[in-house]
Amino acid sequence: MNSAVFEIGKFARLTLLWLCIIFGAVWGVSWSIGVLLPAVILSQSGESGRFWAQLLQALVPVVAVALFVPLNTCYMVLAERRLLALFTVRKGPNRVGPDGAFQTVADALKLLLKEEITPRGADLLMYTLAPVIFFAPSIIGVMPLLAAVSGNHPLFTPVNLPTGVFYILAVSSIPVVGVVMGGWASNNKYSLVGALRSAAQAISYEIPLLLSIITVCLLAGTLDFVQIADNQRGSLLNWNILGGGALTHLGIGSPWWSIAAALLLAACCILLFALYVICACAEVNRTPFDLPEAESELVSGFNTEYSGIKFAIFFLAEYTNLFIVSTFAAVMFLGGGHAPFPGLEDACISGLRGLLAAWFGACTPFQLGWLVNSLVNPATVSQVFWIIVKSYALVWFASLIRATLPRLRIDQLMDYSWKRLVPLALILLIAVTFLKELV
Amino acid sequence: MTESDQAEKSSAGTAAPGQFGQLLSDNGIESNRLPDSCGVETIEVDRQQLENAVQRLRKSPEAVLDLLLAVSGVDSPESYDSVYHLWSTSKSGELVIKVRVAKSEVAPGELPEVPSLARIWSAANWHERESYDLVGIRYSGHPYLRRILNPWNWVGHPLRRDYKQPVDALNDKNPVSFR
Amino acid sequence: MVPEMTEELRANKLKTDEMLINMGPQHPATHGVLRLILKLDGELVKHCEPVVGHLHRAQEWQGQNRTWFQYQALIDRVDYLSGMFTSWALARAAEKIDDVKVPLRAEYMRVIVAEMNRLTSHLLWLGTFGIDLGAMMGLPFYPFREREELLDLLEAIAGQRMMFNYIRIGGVQNEAPPGWFARLFKFTGSFPDRIDEYEAILSNNPIFLKRTKAVGILPRKLAIDYGVTGPTLRASGVALDLRKVKPYSVYDRLDFAVPVCNRDGDTYDRYMCRIIEMHESNKIIRQCIEQIPGGTADVLREKRKACSACGKANCPHCGGDLAIMVKKQNAGLRVKAGEGFAAVESPRGVLGCYIISTGSDTAYRIKWRNPSFSNLAVLPELLLDHQIADIMAIFGSIDVILPDVDR
Repeated sequence: MNSAVFEIGKFARLTLLWLCIIFGAVWGVSWSIGVLLPAVILSQSGESGRFWAQLLQALVPVVAVALFVPLNTCYMVLAERRLLALFTVRKGPNRVGPDGAFQTVADALKLLLKEEITPRGADLLMYTLAPVIFFAPSIIGVMPLLAAVSGNHPLFTPVNLPTGVFYILAVSSIPVVGVVMGGWASNNKYSLVGALRSAAQAISYEIPLLLSIITVCLLAGTLDFVQIADNQRGSLLNWNILGGGALTHLGIGSPWWSIAAALLLAACCILLFALYVICACAEVNRTPFDLPEAESELVSGFNTEYSGIKFAIFFLAEYTNLFIVSTFAAVMFLGGGHAPFPGLEDACISGLRGLLAAWFGACTPFQLGWLVNSLVNPATVSQVFWIIVKSYALVWFASLIRATLPRLRIDQLMDYSWKRLVPLALILLIAVTFLKELV
Repeated sequence: MTESDQAEKSSAGTAAPGQFGQLLSDNGIESNRLPDSCGVETIEVDRQQLENAVQRLRKSPEAVLDLLLAVSGVDSPESYDSVYHLWSTSKSGELVIKVRVAKSEVAPGELPEVPSLARIWSAANWHERESYDLVGIRYSGHPYLRRILNPWNWVGHPLRRDYKQPVDALNDKNPVSFR
Repeated sequence: MVPEMTEELRANKLKTDEMLINMGPQHPATHGVLRLILKLDGELVKHCEPVVGHLHRAQEWQGQNRTWFQYQALIDRVDYLSGMFTSWALARAAEKIDDVKVPLRAEYMRVIVAEMNRLTSHLLWLGTFGIDLGAMMGLPFYPFREREELLDLLEAIAGQRMMFNYIRIGGVQNEAPPGWFARLFKFTGSFPDRIDEYEAILSNNPIFLKRTKAVGILPRKLAIDYGVTGPTLRASGVALDLRKVKPYSVYDRLDFAVPVCNRDGDTYDRYMCRIIEMHESNKIIRQCIEQIPGGTADVLREKRKACSACGKANCPHCGGDLAIMVKKQNAGLRVKAGEGFAAVESPRGVLGCYIISTGSDTAYRIKWRNPSFSNLAVLPELLLDHQIADIMAIFGSIDVILPDVDR
């Protein structure tokens, strides 16, 4: 028991270290490109530098994502391995760096240096394109989430699409093309079987996934991430998982049917969340639904023949997808960047403000106050903090599932989707439509 | 050591037939009793009679020897033996059947032939393949008589007394070398 | 005019090619190096041919070219997960031929270590079965935690973790080290709870049930026809456990049950059979510790220290049934001329050893009757018309150890 507590402590330290690395780096780079450099350019060359300053600011989301994705994957893989070790009475990687903090960095370097093998008879063009096609959507998919994650920070507002949900759903159906291409081009029967399984699985699970997301959009009345997140401001009861505020409207004098409808709506939304988690697991090929890879059956499924950097890209994309799916869930269901209890968020912000005033008060004489303030904006920090906690909690939950469940068989998988999940999703869609009006 | 308790030591092959030998002779199948192997009745059956005898022993309600434990090929000094260990799953009966092919009957370069049980008894399939592979007994009528433990292109039968090892299976130039 | 789409025409139009696929020899789930040549129709297995022999180490050949003493050390490798049983089968066959009466204490020691070995074997099976079903990460490590404790104990008594060479012709190799029995007894006290832990993860897990129930049904007749033995046979409803049916050693003095399923067993029944067997083995070990003549090693050591007549043949504490070895273990070890077959109930089934001895220092012929060999032969029948994923579930559930097949 004690050793478990000890290991959890170690894990918390690792997490803290890595979060500082990831978000410190992204934050710092975004700030220096988007605020510091333009300020310098403008002060040096005046109006003629405006174009360059704007260009730099437009580049911020791209740079941020390019930096965030690999760093985040490094952490997620490490966290998953440590967590699995924790769940399965082992130690996990603990040699490279303090407590094994840099194990995944070393692994990534190893993968980059490894020989890249192309099997005989492979279709070289398709074989090379497959990881790219698999990876590209996950980079594109992170973009609209940035605005929601950063609380609509001015630097990221341009990438906030009014139809962000729709956009992500569209993009998320591309990777399966990469999987099928990779599986087919490898000239390996295991890969082919894995790829075909993946195609079947992705198509069948996309439908309930879409339906559950549509239902939430219906509840929120918008497809804009930032608005969906903002609608859930306030407290736990306003989150979409509990009916998106249906419960808060209730008072002593509410008619009974309104109370009943609100409670039913909350129940439906919890079901919706469960539905979403199940389908998301299937979409990103996580255990119970990791059939496209199915290590004990198909060796490694569609990526059996891949090695070196191509394999690394597949790996990167998989974990990024998992993160996207978790953040998506955090925004759609779990209140985005808002704290679960009313006072907590304000306390966070005012506390941070106080800290900043104490630390950076000395800077004001040098007219740098606004620069610092745009670097550490208390409202943004609080937003990012809460959404990170929620996303990573879901990621860790996925690890827990991976440490527990066996794998379904392909026919059972299809049955489960078409006979259980799709009808359930349709019923929920209709139920939520009506209940929403009754509340 | 409960098996050895009911062991009646028989001195020569001419001893009175045991339980199963009696059963066989009642059904008109000749068998020859051999010295018991550690208290278990051992009989020799002519190879033409083997299939008949085994069917009888398996089906007849007194014996029900329905579990074929093993088929072992033995390169005895005088003969090639195919030894069948039969058990019963419902009774406690045990029987060892030997089919002998005298070495004098086997032409040089030929393999001794014993009828296969694989068609009537699935358990015999792999065991006979193994016996063919290691001892070199050809089971006539076997559906798929192919080497099972050694590589398919192996030369010779390793458990024969006159078997010569390849010089060095790992390092030399012989065709079945693993390098 | 468009021809009418008859059933036949449709079948012809939809006709797909069968895919020939090699599963193994290098494959993560074939428990060693089994090669399955599969003919697949989509995901369905239409034909399967196991190709074995990749791990053939000529154990039988070595049996007739190594002295008895040398060969004893080799045979743990026949089935490396239950080395005690291979040693025991050889020892029993040789003792039968040699007319050796093994002292009672040695018999008890044999039962204890063998049942421990059965536990380690079943625990490893449970872990790998989880992997076969796709629980890649969680389940496998819990059984391994207990297996580690048992292996430590076996190492303490035999000097090795897997290749024990502990059970010898004429007894067992040595007495347990101080504190060994106490450790083992403590382990057996907590072990049933641990089994319940595994069951909590698997036995009622809906995915697990879906993957195992009504998958790979092995009819009773087919099982007997193929000579399948062990838990795989008992799960199909045949109560053939040598420990009960032909009790050897001291099993007739022990109180334990043998789980037998009352229908044609599927993958789940085979799983359940092994789980219950672990409980029973645990019971056997506890009884043996309580019943062992002379008491535990520590008690006996104290008694012997106090005993002044030590070394004499008639000493109540030193000779007779309290000895653990009655044959000199050296290169001159010989077995009388004769032939005999002895079998023990290994974790995988009836493990038999057929010896023909001419009285020299080597055997004339040693034939192993390996349970895995016969159990594997039934695999093609079980796999027919099952999916790729079921290959692993079924193959895992019949618990085949490839070195045991290939010798």
